[in-house]
Amino acid sequence: MIISTAEPWIEAPLRRYVDDARARMALLLHPSGQVLAQAGFTRAVDVASACALAAAAFATAGELGRQLEGRAFGGMHHAGIEKQFYLAHAHTARGAFICFTVFDSESSLGLVRMYFGDLCTELAATAPRLESPRQPMLAVDFESELNANLNALFGGGRSAVGGGGTTGERSRPEQ
Amino acid sequence: MNSPFEPVLDGLTRQRGVRASLIVSEKDGLVVDSKVRFGEQGDRLAALAASIFRKARLSARAAHLGAVSFLQLDAERGRICAVRRDDLVLVVVADAAANVGLIRVELLKALEQIQ
Repeated sequence: MIISTAEPWIEAPLRRYVDDARARMALLLHPSGQVLAQAGFTRAVDVASACALAAAAFATAGELGRQLEGRAFGGMHHAGIEKQFYLAHAHTARGAFICFTVFDSESSLGLVRMYFGDLCTELAATAPRLESPRQPMLAVDFESELNANLNALFGGGRSAVGGGGTTGERSRPEQ
Repeated sequence: MNSPFEPVLDGLTRQRGVRASLIVSEKDGLVVDSKVRFGEQGDRLAALAASIFRKARLSARAAHLGAVSFLQLDAERGRICAVRRDDLVLVVVADAAANVGLIRVELLKALEQIQ
């Protein structure tokens, strides 16, 4: 199974989880919908769309939970004719993640839930601490962030894009 | 709330050496009802026992051996015995030294009571 991750510490626990739970596909994503790791996704399934939809579904279920019993629901399961999915969150030192797992009759909800518990434990144990909390990417910061990143990538002290087109930009306070 | 399976599970758990008895959905691997001794992980047992039973059933069918009537797994620190009716798997987890013959008789009797 092909696994790709944005952060290397995720790969081993995710690989073990997918193998043990016999899942078809798995995605680990930030609650905003940004993908952190993917396993077993084929071209037929668009990862970006799956992440956005999974994050939206999880947020919706969370809000329903808050309205019904004062706190967000921890997990969500849907069963189709052939495929099922399980959506749940994992907490680590780097914050909360959502895991979207697709499985079929080779596995079962019980197995997926059981191994998901193990995945949460492993992720919590292996996640390196964030040195400073990440700031959300705001539209007002976008141009300055972009310029800074392009400068870092393509070098030198000169601005790569737009020259002086930084009207209205607001610098982020130093951490 | 009292479950209709409670007397069945009580009968099984009363047997000497039995640490847990569970009724599990084979398809989902989820616990329907259980009597689990302190320290045993019911959800984990249920998921694994249902998975093992399903694999055994499919293997027996593929080998043209027919339906699985009784499944026994002996391990270093205990044993798992299981029987099935429809989607429900009746699972007993017992000590390694427990009398399997007795457990088997009780499991088959209990199976009759599950409708």
